[in-house]
Amino acid sequence: MTFLAQVELIKPPEIEYSAIAPVLIVLGAACVSVLFEAFLPKHQRWAAQVVLTMLTFIGAGTALGLYAGAETTTAQGITTLSGAVAVDRPVIFLWVTLLLLGFGSILLIADRSVEPGGAFVADAAVRPGTVQDRAQATRTGMQTEVFPLTLFALAGMMVFVAANDLLTMFIALEVLSLPLYLMCGLARRRRLLSQEAAVKYFLLGAFASAFFLYGLALLYGYAGSVKLADIATATAGSDKSDTLLFAGFGLLVVGLLFKASVGPFHAWTPDVYQGAPTPITAFMAACTKVAAFGGILRVLTVAFERTNWEWRGVLWGVAVASMVIGAVLGLTQTDVKRMVAYSSVAHAGFLLIGSISLTEQGLSGTLFYLLAYGFTTIAVFGVISLVRNADGEATHLSQWAGLAKRSPVLAGVFTFLLLALAGIPLTSGFVGKFVVFAAAIQDGLAPLVVVALVASAVAAFFYLRVIVLMYFSEPAPDGPTVTVPGAFTTIAITVGAAVTLVLGVWPSFALDWAGAGGFIF
Amino acid sequence: MLQPYLPLVFMFLLAGAFALFSVTAAPYIGPRRYNRAKLDAYECGIEPSPAPIVGGGRMPVAYYLTAMLFILFDIEMVFLYPFAVSADKLGLFGLVEIALFVATVGFAYAYVWRRGGLDWN
Amino acid sequence: MSWTLIALLLLPLVGSLVVAFLKGNDRTAKLVALGFSLVELALAVVAWVAYDPSSGARLQLTSSVDWIPTFGVHLSFGVDGIALVMIALIAFLMPVVIGGAWSDKLPEGRSASGFFSLLLAMQTGMVGVFAATDVFLFYVFFEAVLVPMYFLIGRFGGPNRQYAAMKFFLYSLLGGLIMLASVIGLYVTSADKLGQGTLDWATLVTVMKDAPTSTQIWLFLGFFIAFAIKAPLVPLHTWLPDAGAEAPVGAGVLLVGVLDKIGTFGFLRYCLPLFPAASKQLAPLVLVLAVVGIIYGSLLAVGQTDMKRFVAYTSIAHFGFIALGIFAFSSQAGAGSVLYMVNHGISTGMLFLVVGMVMSRGGSRLIQDYGGMAKLTPVLGGLFFVAGLSSLALPGTNSFVSEFLVLIGSYPNQPVFTIISTVGMVLAALYVLWVYQRVFQGPVRGTALLNVAAGPGTATDPERSGIKDLNRREIAVLAPLVALVLVLGFYPKPVLDVISPSIGATLSEVGVTDPVAQEGK
Repeated sequence: MTFLAQVELIKPPEIEYSAIAPVLIVLGAACVSVLFEAFLPKHQRWAAQVVLTMLTFIGAGTALGLYAGAETTTAQGITTLSGAVAVDRPVIFLWVTLLLLGFGSILLIADRSVEPGGAFVADAAVRPGTVQDRAQATRTGMQTEVFPLTLFALAGMMVFVAANDLLTMFIALEVLSLPLYLMCGLARRRRLLSQEAAVKYFLLGAFASAFFLYGLALLYGYAGSVKLADIATATAGSDKSDTLLFAGFGLLVVGLLFKASVGPFHAWTPDVYQGAPTPITAFMAACTKVAAFGGILRVLTVAFERTNWEWRGVLWGVAVASMVIGAVLGLTQTDVKRMVAYSSVAHAGFLLIGSISLTEQGLSGTLFYLLAYGFTTIAVFGVISLVRNADGEATHLSQWAGLAKRSPVLAGVFTFLLLALAGIPLTSGFVGKFVVFAAAIQDGLAPLVVVALVASAVAAFFYLRVIVLMYFSEPAPDGPTVTVPGAFTTIAITVGAAVTLVLGVWPSFALDWAGAGGFIF
Repeated sequence: MLQPYLPLVFMFLLAGAFALFSVTAAPYIGPRRYNRAKLDAYECGIEPSPAPIVGGGRMPVAYYLTAMLFILFDIEMVFLYPFAVSADKLGLFGLVEIALFVATVGFAYAYVWRRGGLDWN
Repeated sequence: MSWTLIALLLLPLVGSLVVAFLKGNDRTAKLVALGFSLVELALAVVAWVAYDPSSGARLQLTSSVDWIPTFGVHLSFGVDGIALVMIALIAFLMPVVIGGAWSDKLPEGRSASGFFSLLLAMQTGMVGVFAATDVFLFYVFFEAVLVPMYFLIGRFGGPNRQYAAMKFFLYSLLGGLIMLASVIGLYVTSADKLGQGTLDWATLVTVMKDAPTSTQIWLFLGFFIAFAIKAPLVPLHTWLPDAGAEAPVGAGVLLVGVLDKIGTFGFLRYCLPLFPAASKQLAPLVLVLAVVGIIYGSLLAVGQTDMKRFVAYTSIAHFGFIALGIFAFSSQAGAGSVLYMVNHGISTGMLFLVVGMVMSRGGSRLIQDYGGMAKLTPVLGGLFFVAGLSSLALPGTNSFVSEFLVLIGSYPNQPVFTIISTVGMVLAALYVLWVYQRVFQGPVRGTALLNVAAGPGTATDPERSGIKDLNRREIAVLAPLVALVLVLGFYPKPVLDVISPSIGATLSEVGVTDPVAQEGK
């Protein structure tokens, strides 16, 4: 029986526990969080979950800080788990970004002062529109499952940006996506819209995952390995089938671009951003964007840099499409959340410009842009969650008329954030654009930058329109009120706006940090 | 060269033969007692085409829950088999890993159980 | 390290914040604002005295600290003669504007503290634009100055203010974004050449000197379009009549008097020295636009029925003269242009103020609503006439000197363009005098005046018409302007002495030989 002898003694892979500790902490806490849901009585869950989640962020942050701090200055990073996961400088930057933005999102998620009981449905099993549904909207409870779901999604994102082979990447993609699908459907108000968003996101997301998986399979056929480094090596030889390579690359990238809501793969974005509970929209807009572009950067730089002449033109077109779609369709929106969704599509185009620059500057510029954009976005959605009427959030633009008169502070903060999205100097948005465009011009993408600048100007129109509404129009008599936020939302908005200002005025620290090193594979 | 795969070929042949045998033999050796449920598809008690009025043609949601849980633990078993076969070769590391895996599924199980996912009504 | 410019920059900013907090106490807010503007004027005098035109240093009163080392960006300030006279002009106009807007009727619900706070904020931005010697820093101020102006027009302007504010902002922002591409281009070019990129103006001048002409042309166009929108050159001028007409009088003075000079200042400080080859090659194009602007602006000024739009169109004609002088590349024309920038600020500022005073009496902007007003308000009529004469460049007024220098200096290099542009002088006399005649001469008529009258037959009686002549405040506001019109008309030497060395330096950076100076030898 010779075939039995083929089974080698299996050696466990080397694991650098200190490096992956942040991910393990978040995942472990997510499991504990599930147990809390199982065994704690209903009235204790919210408090316990909030404490646990905060401790998780502190723990993961400390672990990351200890690891990054203990590194010798020469070490650019390591790979671990048989090379499936890399922990290098960009990954550490992205992990810190994800943890910070995740923390900001959790603050919005945990808030129960803006809407009594929180933005999440009290009893998800109740059918929308029924008497019971109206009753649940006024109850103070909420489905605290959103906390473990957030932690799982966050852990998925952290693995996604660190994944050094496509299979790990796919698993991470699913781990981050599945909780998000669910979380989209948990809104307390307008539940049909919310559930529609969840189903839409799920179906389209499943398609995107399938694309990714198909691409992965074709690339495996091409390179005989799912490791990014092996694919890169395979592209160096010329005797392999280019069809497999480019078909695989195309399908893979479609899956990634979908997650990053880059146009023309953005179709889900406005509906989902509008329907999902606002704190979840903030989480998706900030963290998912970071994770998706972290993945795109790694895949393009590590696996496909050598073949960039072949695919760059295509992504060039995609970036143009994204910017144009975001800027032009944003003009026609009448809902604040949809407007920000289209703005995020336009921003995805700008980020893609940085990603296809494939230089050190492109990498550091894109990383900085992600950090800056994430904080601004969280603050934007924090502000949006405060403008309410009897039916919940008043997101229709006409309801924002004359807001400056009712709440000058809120209008001032929102104006500042919109100017940041538009890229006016002294905000982080401007520095982000500057670094990304500088990298692009340096790498010969000047025409793309010109398109981007024109798109910025077009997009500025719809940001300005909101400012015009808030400041120059008279408030409607039955307009919405501005809720006085509790501590959590106040902190989230304040920190988001403060970081937007600090990164605009004094970006050196973050720029140096983003440019500390390249990918290790 | 292909010798290691020989047992697999036997396996396939055996499986095919068994299936063929079952299908052919059943009509001859099985007892026949006709009733209404017998004529349904799957013979498991579910009305395949829903009654037009009662319950609006909905299936009880508990079926989905049960099916989902079944798949979950099914997959757990699928992973446990290969572990059991080569437990000695995987050593302590493998044991810890599989314990963690079982624990993870156990958390989900605890959640379902505590939240009443296993109660039929 | 000179602190004068930094003090000039920070003082209005502090003032702006202080005034903003005096909400609800309009009188104190106005007094504080006036106080800050007068101290600023004193500081500007200090700067004027400290500047030594004969020292030969290109930039004086310099100060510099690192800002974003990653991109070679410094917080560096300094002035040459051109920037110095512009800063002095702002400092001079600001108290005048504050005095002029003292008892303006603001739209309902708007506070005076907001208005004066924005005026002071704008002063900071404008000083920054002229004092920045780092291209990045210049860009930051260039964009930042839009925000207060946008709010001044949008919150305090005329009936069509929302549209005008939006148009103003979008035009300027589009120009700014195109310029951003060129700013990044400068950075990349310097990085290619020096290894480490920089945005320091003086360094860039040496770097760009031998950059290929094609590069220069692209980058030149980026800057030029932004400045041509700002300055407004035909065909990029269409925002100015709207913004000028809808802006409150005080903001209008600053908009046309100083803010638009950023464009012509930009030609002199950035387009010419940074892109000498491109400047020479594209000069004919600019000259065509300039001359078209002179004729077109004059013709449209003749046809205007709205007094504020009329002032805006006369400015378009005057900006044509300034651009002509700059791109004629001679020391006389250059010095004439800079002097024109100052004189235009004075004469158009004064014209705007007197138009505002007419409007505050009649309540209408339309010329046809007035007539024979000099009978009721002889002092206002006289001062309107002085402002008009200064605007049409009558010998003995300030504008004559500058217009004469521009024409005489441009003639040797560009005889054809110069001859065509003299048509503008004739048209200037026509449009100014015709407006004066319609509004002030003849019998008292026009709905604006008759409506205010107490009863039938009272309209023509100065005592009982309800239209009062200038009060002491208004005379005090106009008096310094009249004084400058006459002083600079007869003795412009102190200003020209400051300007001329810097013009000489600019021309040598462009590398042209001065035809006038050659003849002298």
